[in-house]
Amino acid sequence: MQMNDMLKPAEVDLLYQAHHAWLRSWLRARVGCREHAADLAQDTFVRLLRARQVSPLKEPRAYLSSVARGLMIDQFRRRALERAYQESLACLPEGEAPSEEHRLVILDTLERLDRALQLLKPRVRQAFLLAQLDGLSIPQIAAHLEVSRATVERDLARALGTCYRLRYADA
Amino acid sequence: MPTPERIPAQAQVDEAIDWLVKLRFDDPSAHHQQQFQHWLHSHPHNALAWQRVNSLGNELAGLPPDLSRRTLEGSQRQRMSRRNNLKLLVAFAVVGGALWTAREPLGLPALMADSRTATGERRDLQGSDGSRIQLNTASAIDLRYSADQRLLTLIRGEVSLDSNASDNRTFHIDTAIADMDTRNGQLLLRENDDGLLLAVRRGEVLLFPSSARPRWVKTGEVLQVSASGQTEVAALHGDPWGWTDGVLSVQQMPLGEFVAELSRYRPGLLRCAPEVAGLRVSGTYQLADTEQILLLIARSLPVRLDYRTRYWVSIDAA
Repeated sequence: MQMNDMLKPAEVDLLYQAHHAWLRSWLRARVGCREHAADLAQDTFVRLLRARQVSPLKEPRAYLSSVARGLMIDQFRRRALERAYQESLACLPEGEAPSEEHRLVILDTLERLDRALQLLKPRVRQAFLLAQLDGLSIPQIAAHLEVSRATVERDLARALGTCYRLRYADA
Repeated sequence: MPTPERIPAQAQVDEAIDWLVKLRFDDPSAHHQQQFQHWLHSHPHNALAWQRVNSLGNELAGLPPDLSRRTLEGSQRQRMSRRNNLKLLVAFAVVGGALWTAREPLGLPALMADSRTATGERRDLQGSDGSRIQLNTASAIDLRYSADQRLLTLIRGEVSLDSNASDNRTFHIDTAIADMDTRNGQLLLRENDDGLLLAVRRGEVLLFPSSARPRWVKTGEVLQVSASGQTEVAALHGDPWGWTDGVLSVQQMPLGEFVAELSRYRPGLLRCAPEVAGLRVSGTYQLADTEQILLLIARSLPVRLDYRTRYWVSIDAA
């Protein structure tokens, strides 16, 4: 990847000066909280610094609000996941709860898995969960789903391919 | 910045993933193990790909099964209930808006529920905001206005919306496949076998595909949106807007596709024999008389019309 694929920091700086206040009020109207909106606006520009952008922005506000909307959705997903995690913990026997450090690793992995699962077809998703979380082997999954072993192998490879793309997308 | 050498090529990643599947989820034979070792050491790129894929595998294998399953299910439940809540909020906003304006006799909102068309019928509607809405054959929509928004729900079929840009309320558009916002857009939406066709003729539309990033769709773009949220440039053999002028306008469209298109506008059965389905059709045809279109086709292509009954027409090789 070449450096000139990315917005230059100076360009982002100009965008920041021209649109930061607008973006903050745009976000505030949507999340209903000044602090939260300020954080999201900041994250939007951070994301912009990392994003690969081939051509200069023709309509910066449309682009900014689209990135910000994506972040809002991401944040909601993460909060939903964390809440579900806490609720699930309550169902576990004491002593089986992962450590705080491990918790973050698990949540990051689950977040990506959650996103990957939504991109997969139902059968692929089911096969992948049976293999990954239920520990079933390929012949067992094939029998359970009434498909061939080759199909299960292909499904698992497809699911892992999606996980791989999400895992290494930012690298 | 990672240098190009440190990012494994897709082909190597795919091979590494195939190995991960075999080694983790199957019962690998000694022979397989040997083959794997050979693959791993045959090229440095293979080793690099394996390093990444294997660490992904380790992360996933490190998930506590019971806790993870419950968490994934819980987060999905929350997302679904949020979607339902949003729908409820919209419903309340509409009702609230209606109650509010009902006290002011001049601001009565138009409440046109359940506009629908029969097969072969087309309808032209005028929204209270000055927007023009056209329904194609066998279609149904809901149209609601509240104090601060406009909402069109495509229930089935095909609709075109020419939104009045001088009204500054956002126009929300809901379909089973994806949701959209626009303020000034002129757009066309059609449900089809692969999901949803979206064409934008004027202005711009903010598209929210399911489980994918929202994106702007600009003037002139015609996209196919799938239920899983993928979007791609639609492959067309004609003008998707033709019907809004009462015509079917096609270019080099395979006869099979043309017949399927035509049968949307006709009650009864219209079939095309496979031998002639690949013949190409070009031209602009008046939708008001589908019988006439069939005759024109029979005259210009080596086919004949076989009327089994009045409502069962088969197009066969001449």
